[in-house]
Amino acid sequence: MNSEENGTLRERVLEIYKYIEEHFYLNRPDIDVKGAAFNSALLMSLLTGLCQGKELIIGEPGLGKTTSAEYVCALLYRFPLGTVWGSEVSGHPEQTEEKIIGRPDLGRLNQGEEVVVWSHFVLLPIKIVDEINRLPETKQSMILDGVDRGNWEYLNDAIINREYCLFATANYQDRGTNTIIAPLIDRFDVMVESKHPGANLAYLIGGQRSKDVVLRHEELENEFQRLLTERLPYDVRMERIEELCDRFGEALAKEHGIQTLSRADRQAIRSQKDEIPFDLDFNAFLRVVLSELSFCHRFGQKRSHEGCEEGCHFTEYLCKAVRNCVSNRLPISVRTFAQALAWLLGDEEVGLEHLRTVLPFTLAHRIQWKEEAVAQREKERRSDPLDIYMAKEAVKEMHRRYMEQGPQVKNALAIACRIAEGERMEPIHGDHPIYWEIRRDLGEEGLEA
Amino acid sequence: MKNPFLDFRSLPYRKKEIPLERIVRAKQEVLEHIVEGYLRLVEEEAKDLVWLVEHSRVVKAYEAALKSIRDLHYDQDDIEEFCAELDSSHKIPYMISGPAGIYISALVNHSEEDRIVLRLQDYQRVFHFLGYRLPEGKTLVLQGDVGDFIGAGLSGGRLVVEGSTGNWCGAGMMRGEILVSEHAGQKTGEWMRGGEIHVDGMIRSVGKTLFGGRIYRRGRLVSPQPIGEHT
Repeated sequence: MNSEENGTLRERVLEIYKYIEEHFYLNRPDIDVKGAAFNSALLMSLLTGLCQGKELIIGEPGLGKTTSAEYVCALLYRFPLGTVWGSEVSGHPEQTEEKIIGRPDLGRLNQGEEVVVWSHFVLLPIKIVDEINRLPETKQSMILDGVDRGNWEYLNDAIINREYCLFATANYQDRGTNTIIAPLIDRFDVMVESKHPGANLAYLIGGQRSKDVVLRHEELENEFQRLLTERLPYDVRMERIEELCDRFGEALAKEHGIQTLSRADRQAIRSQKDEIPFDLDFNAFLRVVLSELSFCHRFGQKRSHEGCEEGCHFTEYLCKAVRNCVSNRLPISVRTFAQALAWLLGDEEVGLEHLRTVLPFTLAHRIQWKEEAVAQREKERRSDPLDIYMAKEAVKEMHRRYMEQGPQVKNALAIACRIAEGERMEPIHGDHPIYWEIRRDLGEEGLEA
Repeated sequence: MKNPFLDFRSLPYRKKEIPLERIVRAKQEVLEHIVEGYLRLVEEEAKDLVWLVEHSRVVKAYEAALKSIRDLHYDQDDIEEFCAELDSSHKIPYMISGPAGIYISALVNHSEEDRIVLRLQDYQRVFHFLGYRLPEGKTLVLQGDVGDFIGAGLSGGRLVVEGSTGNWCGAGMMRGEILVSEHAGQKTGEWMRGGEIHVDGMIRSVGKTLFGGRIYRRGRLVSPQPIGEHT
């Protein structure tokens, strides 16, 4: 695909963002990326859809958590809203595996055959779980594997989604909500808040009663419904679904002038995104971040059940304020989303700015702060929920340190490379955990006998 | 383990400068110069790796050695290091004891230090001509057994041998003193013109032609023979 086609796809995605921002999801821009203003919830949803990610959208009831995801799915994947609604899983205590994943075909079961009727949620590439934290913790586990790998199992049958993205919404804690279990929450790439748009935009939203009509298409919705209930092999069914999607895309273009994305377009975007290289500042800063969130001088690494030692030297770094160890899913999420953002902005390299933008949203739900760290921040003036605010502040703090030490850190990594290749050199020493991690990797701290 | 730093391979780096590294590097450079000078000397003075002990050749070799090290700054450790290199032959393909000793003597005599101690006791080889022309004001302590012509042409310095010497110890010495804590070989003090040799152990024989100076064994004068005493 040539650069002109790349540009066309990018422009098309930016048009989709603008279309949603102006017609469906009225909200204020709240982040600035290289001089361009974006609404973080909408931007991250768009990137989630593009790079097959998983997004957790939190917020007060009625502030557009689910609908923002629905619009993104409808336009990026060409599904009419009625079909999107029909595939959503709603979180409530009585939810069952049969409603979420699939059920036996009762007619066939009576004939002695074991055939699974898969849910629309499982079949379609767009997956929305509404109010995920109303699912009891035991039932959250049901969607764990599927969410992670697109691998769904029921009875003796299984489906592996060839393309999928996941949006889950969660309300703030009240009597009806549960905690999202740690392994599930770690699987979300990003967490955003769907914020109140402010009084003036909220007033306009009040007059937008029929906005959903644009994305409805009853005829196609019926065809989707028929196709989804047909007993066809998964691949055949997906091919036919794609044809219907394309018809919906044509209808949108014809009736509303909005260009949407075919599956081939999305694949092309992913290929282009994957080819954008990371610059060395991205590389070094992400290592600095990972070191601060996993390092423990005393116990080898952070562990959520082990506290810090009294009198520990490393009090100036995040390891002191955080309880848990960051998982290996973090760098995957960060790289994927930063690359997708660089693609969207038409940049040739993924750099510090992309990283700084996506980092708070990839960290917010993954960091378990110590009580004293929360107590220090919770009363501060802010415009984000506490988790996201604390993640943003943490990123600012780490970025400040990187700005002071960046050249030394890169130099230390360059020298470490030579040492690892067998050159006799002295590794760079420093106070920051990254220097200690480098020395550990060079075997300087010694192995246990 | 996979090299996790490969992304930074192409990044130019600034090597950390620590004083120890600088010192080691400087030391290595000095040693290389010393070794080069020795090899040049051997090439010039012992073309077939044969070196005959003749007065003129010794003088010539010493002058050539002095010329090689004229602009060099070194200390006792460098001289010892060079001795070790000569002994182990890691960097030096051939060691000829005569020129080697003359070269070491030139290093000692040209050194800025007044007192130099060379620990030679663990070496496989022995060096000849150590302490050659040791000038006044210098003390050279040789720990361990040494070769022939030790302290030859001594010129006022103090040479202490903590071990035994070979033959011709103090040959042709002019001034100064030689102290030998163990034994001395044959012809000790041959052609001696001045100064003193003190030997605590045995002296195999005293040189026949002495033009001056004194030789003592365990504090007793053995040359010139005291009047009335005959050995």
